[in-house]
Amino acid sequence: MGSSFWTVLFVVAVVVVPAARGVWIDLPSSGTKCVSEEIHNHVVVMADYYAFIGDPDVHNGTIVSIPTMTVKVTSPYGNELHHKENVTHGQFAFTTTESGNYLACFSVDGDQHKHGGKVVTVGIDWKTGIAAKDWDSVAKKEKIEGLELELAKLEGIVQSIHENLNYLINREFEMREVSEKTNARVAWYSITALGVCVVVSLLQIWYLRRYFQKKKLI
Amino acid sequence: MRSSLPLVAVIVILGSFGGAFGIRFIIDREECFSHKVEYGQTVHFSFVVIKSGGSWGGYGEEGVDLVVKGPNGEQVHDIRDKTSDKHEFVAYHKGVYRFCFTNKSPYHETLDFDVHAAHFLYHDEHAKDEHFKPLFEHIGNLEEALYNIQFEQHWLEAQTDRQAIVNEKMGRGAIHKVLVESTALILASGLQVYILRRLFERKLGASRV
Repeated sequence: MGSSFWTVLFVVAVVVVPAARGVWIDLPSSGTKCVSEEIHNHVVVMADYYAFIGDPDVHNGTIVSIPTMTVKVTSPYGNELHHKENVTHGQFAFTTTESGNYLACFSVDGDQHKHGGKVVTVGIDWKTGIAAKDWDSVAKKEKIEGLELELAKLEGIVQSIHENLNYLINREFEMREVSEKTNARVAWYSITALGVCVVVSLLQIWYLRRYFQKKKLI
Repeated sequence: MRSSLPLVAVIVILGSFGGAFGIRFIIDREECFSHKVEYGQTVHFSFVVIKSGGSWGGYGEEGVDLVVKGPNGEQVHDIRDKTSDKHEFVAYHKGVYRFCFTNKSPYHETLDFDVHAAHFLYHDEHAKDEHFKPLFEHIGNLEEALYNIQFEQHWLEAQTDRQAIVNEKMGRGAIHKVLVESTALILASGLQVYILRRLFERKLGASRV
């Protein structure tokens, strides 16, 4: 293992560490901005977030104060999974125990004038499921490396695609049931409405006949 | 081991795929997202309007506009008034691309947005070993195809969510419709009887007097 191996390993470490993945969101100067995702049960979620002004790679030579923000992550039933105030960056990780909509809310601390009126941007890198799997520990445990590890990753991705597909099939089945039920209901309700119309008009005729007979018009 | 260098190069190439990223958010008037893209990456993006409008409103006005702008301000894509769409483009400029959504309807809408940038395979000097190069290429293609499948699956899942909500609305709507219709019919015929009575009472009253 000469020095060339270590340089290559260093290059690998630098390149493979995800550089600027994820999405950047502009935060309003007041109020919170929330993003959410539908996550199933028993899924590992890992996320990094960082606040900045402008493009973090562009250095103008001027020192701009790094904005701080409040972060809150809640589960679909309202449990708080992560809550931090006055932070510029951080991360959270959890395994889901409920299936549903997970919400992450960000809000800027302090007022707009502190940041020179510029727009605060928060970058979120959110990984769920197979993307969040710790492949290093899998590699150590199963003693696989290199090509075999890459193929194991691909197999993991294929598994998750298959699971997703099963979920979609079940979803479609449920939706089909609702559709058919609605179809039957609409047919039944149309007949009911027609029946109500006929009954009411018969009642009308009967009442009016009685009325006219009482008033000696017929 | 002589062959470890090409394998390490494989890790370099394959480990830099971005993966898909879907998020959901509620849009009021306008919402913008940015994504940093390297030169030459193929960027796939998709959006689906999951839920829109109040309980009865919003029919026919549900679409959103999406404008994709490059790092130099040039317009890459312009999508008008769609409830769901999926596109891709090749990034000819490196930098921050902005995706701006505009909501034309007066109601809040829940939007699902997914963006996925795949690397083209850049050439690494260490991967010159002719034995491994085709294998790396194929594995690279395979990984890119799998990420694409995940991206499309996310889009399909979001559309299914939208359909489920539309279906539920329709089911509830059917019950409301029949109740409202029956009530309206009964009230209308009651009104008819009342008007006829008044008409004849007036006529009778006039003729008897």
